[in-house]
Amino acid sequence: MSQTLTMKKMEQRLQRADRKHAHLYLFCNFTALMIISAYSGMMLSPTVQTTFPPGGDSRKQMNAIFILTLIGCVVFTIYAAGLFFRHKSRQLGILMALGASRKRLMPGLFREVLFLSGFSCTAGILAGFPFIWIIWSLFRLLLIDSSDMRLSFDPVCLLISFAFLLAVAAFSCILAWHYLRRTNIMEVIREEHINEPVKELGKWCAPAGCILLAAGVLLGYCTPIFYLYKVQALPPVWMNLLYAPAFAGLYMIMLHAVVHGFGRRKHAPYKNIIARSMMKFQGKQTVNNMIVVTLLIASACFGIFYVPILSIGTIMEYHAQPYDYFYHYRADQTLPDRAAIETLAEEYGLSLKDWGEFDYITLAFGAFSSIMEEDGKHWHDEYIPICIEKRVISEDTWNTLTGENIDVLPGTYLCITNQEETALSIISSAKHITNMVTRTQISTQYAGLLHYDLMTDMRGYCVLDNTDYALLSEGLTDDWKGRIVSFNVDGKDSYPFADALFHRMVSCFDENCFTAVYHDRIITIRAEEQGIADWQASDPMMRIDPAEADSLTFRQNWEYIPRFRILSMNDFLLSTSVFLMMFLFIFIVCILTVLIICYTRCQTIALNNRYIFDDLKKLGASPNFLDREVRSQCGSVFRVPAVVALIAVYLFFILLLYGNDGQLVYSEIVSLGACLGIEAALSMLIYGVYRVTVAGIRQKLGIFLQVTEIE
Amino acid sequence: MLYVKNLYKSYQTGKNKYQVLNGVDFCVEKGEFVAVMGPSGSGKTTLLNCISCYIPFDKGEITIGGTNLAGLDDAGLAHFRNTQLGFVFQDFMLLDGLTIRENILVPRIVQGEVSGEAEELADRLTALFGIQHIAAKYPAEISGGEKQRAAVARSLINNPLIILADEPTGNLDSKSSRAVIESFGEVKKRMDATIFMVTHDSFAASFCDRVILLKDGSIYRQLERQGERGQFQDQLLIAIKEMTE
Repeated sequence: MSQTLTMKKMEQRLQRADRKHAHLYLFCNFTALMIISAYSGMMLSPTVQTTFPPGGDSRKQMNAIFILTLIGCVVFTIYAAGLFFRHKSRQLGILMALGASRKRLMPGLFREVLFLSGFSCTAGILAGFPFIWIIWSLFRLLLIDSSDMRLSFDPVCLLISFAFLLAVAAFSCILAWHYLRRTNIMEVIREEHINEPVKELGKWCAPAGCILLAAGVLLGYCTPIFYLYKVQALPPVWMNLLYAPAFAGLYMIMLHAVVHGFGRRKHAPYKNIIARSMMKFQGKQTVNNMIVVTLLIASACFGIFYVPILSIGTIMEYHAQPYDYFYHYRADQTLPDRAAIETLAEEYGLSLKDWGEFDYITLAFGAFSSIMEEDGKHWHDEYIPICIEKRVISEDTWNTLTGENIDVLPGTYLCITNQEETALSIISSAKHITNMVTRTQISTQYAGLLHYDLMTDMRGYCVLDNTDYALLSEGLTDDWKGRIVSFNVDGKDSYPFADALFHRMVSCFDENCFTAVYHDRIITIRAEEQGIADWQASDPMMRIDPAEADSLTFRQNWEYIPRFRILSMNDFLLSTSVFLMMFLFIFIVCILTVLIICYTRCQTIALNNRYIFDDLKKLGASPNFLDREVRSQCGSVFRVPAVVALIAVYLFFILLLYGNDGQLVYSEIVSLGACLGIEAALSMLIYGVYRVTVAGIRQKLGIFLQVTEIE
Repeated sequence: MLYVKNLYKSYQTGKNKYQVLNGVDFCVEKGEFVAVMGPSGSGKTTLLNCISCYIPFDKGEITIGGTNLAGLDDAGLAHFRNTQLGFVFQDFMLLDGLTIRENILVPRIVQGEVSGEAEELADRLTALFGIQHIAAKYPAEISGGEKQRAAVARSLINNPLIILADEPTGNLDSKSSRAVIESFGEVKKRMDATIFMVTHDSFAASFCDRVILLKDGSIYRQLERQGERGQFQDQLLIAIKEMTE
């Protein structure tokens, strides 16, 4: 047997025997690479790249969370490698004590770590793609299936995964070298006994942390707003650094929570004293870990909250529509008339009712415009009498459409907004309204708001006195005029009918009408008159492709998008499917990363201190006592970041929704309720993994409770 | 065989410096079985670690078989440790993934050669220490006493100049302790081995030819065994009592 036992073979045998100690290392490398390859595969897939607008907030958010996930993966691979080498250290120490030189041990150790990291990482990369495919398929199968959901990959994503693989392998080799380089063999042999030293933490840490946290949030949030309005310039990028004290504060609060804990110490000064004493030595490392976990939980929530925030308000709005069908078109376009639509409806066994047709015109309104100065940073506001395009109806049309009876004073105008008054198209500073064909202009004044959800979009409608309307309509060509059509279905509506009508209507518009709702003809005319180039002409976002009539871009941005209730409700999830899918995926990835980090950290703390548990057993500590200490330790790792992240992200969303328009409307409150439900479900999941972790540690430390003793 | 001259060693913890060895001088002759005893903190384990080349020392000289350890580089120290020193640790330090026979051969494997002669020696050593029946077993399958006898056998596989033992009976019951210490006696008798042992155990030390008592990093007293083992143990206990008063 031993006749052929060489150093290399002995190392191989030891490695095989030690394989069970490498399980966590293999698992963490595998999971890290699976997460990274899946995330990068998803993020760089042509499907996501074409759906998420370049430079948009959603893409920035996706990229930022990727960086954070990357950091999370780095954290748990480092801990897993650390645990692996801590165990390996004893074996290395024995061999060194028996005279094996570092040079002699190096090749075998490198071979082992390169094999383990290479194998686990490659398997992780390969598993990343089935992982995406499974999530993607389940999403299509169980939730939404749309034509946008085409799974495709960009090979560039593999570069990221391989870069991480190389980083893991390099880091493992560096760590192996670091362990071998130690001059003190006794330290190597007794590695598992060594704790990281930390200076005693002052009681001032938590209050100082709270002050820094509050200061960071206030400075970071308020200073750019103050700068924007007072200096009238875009806040410089460095202003984001003003949030830095908040992170320092968060770190200090967590450090205090971990090392000293909060509350009830006076009544029970010895409660969990063992766990707290361990944390005194490992507190900083644990808190570094917790910060990453906190940010990941916050990112996961940030991603998943997008779903209720996006969908609940929209679905509620669809339900509240007074008409099943509501659309408008330019008068120079030939769309199906009432008879044609009724014929189509009959084909689907439907009859129509409440038919209404109304005229509108398009006029130029004066407004204050922010003129950017040459430095590209500062601007000044300037009133421009012919500034933006608005659709306008007469007071008679309004009264007929709504059944109200308003009287608009001559020389004034009213703006139409939704019930929640969140429309972005309200303009209250106009002093002039102009007919762009005849250049007839009247002076005007803002007179307030009217409410009608179906007439609220990025362009916006205004209501004029009948006389003013007649005056400004005179001489307008058909491309400045339009018609609004509304009707209901008598009885149960039909999605196929709505879909057929929608596609027929789209096919009737000529190419001049396929512009985004934020494309403004007044800007084009002004540019022509000033002899400068119209920036809208070169912006691809301003053109809408009728071939993509089912896409989210088309549905969200087309100037003449019809409001068909049944179509909107059914197609909302379809048209937002890639967004929903990506944010759900981000949530899954972030939470998976969080759970693995917490699990490995708890394992590290418990196993590094297992001698303390052994000593406590010898001192007569009951399994119940030891279990309580284990739970206390693991509880800090799971609970503190979860509580901080869940509260912080929830408050941030309240601030965000409130900050949009200075109020919290009903649909936002309902969305926040749904977010709270998500947080509750997430808390339960984290608690479940905490229980599993504690059970695993209990087993590894040999703490066997009686059934009645288990919590 | 082993010469320790004016040895100084200190540890730095933060701003505090602790002098652990304070000018230690002694020698161990070939074939001698010597123990070092002393209260906790007296520096006995540090002394052994310096002799074992595990930790560097501040000042002084250690020569083993004429080789000055301070003059060796890392590779030289490793080679010296492998070929000239035999080690026995309190917690055995056997590799869990190897059988007892393979564990005994580890110092030879580290050298890069496991000759037939080495294997024969391994078999002879297992027979000498009464562990041939467990030669194919793994460390987890045998008792503490058997593990330590395997460790003693391992320390002898390279015919070292000296065996260095750190509390070899510290983790054993009295029966196993006696078996291990008797195996040291057997090694000394049959192989003329030189043994240097650190221990707390006056029973184990009473088997030695000489005991060095260490106190506060300096040699307090040396006692040579002249009569029966039991008598020597009594002498040791009295000397230890005097030292600690």
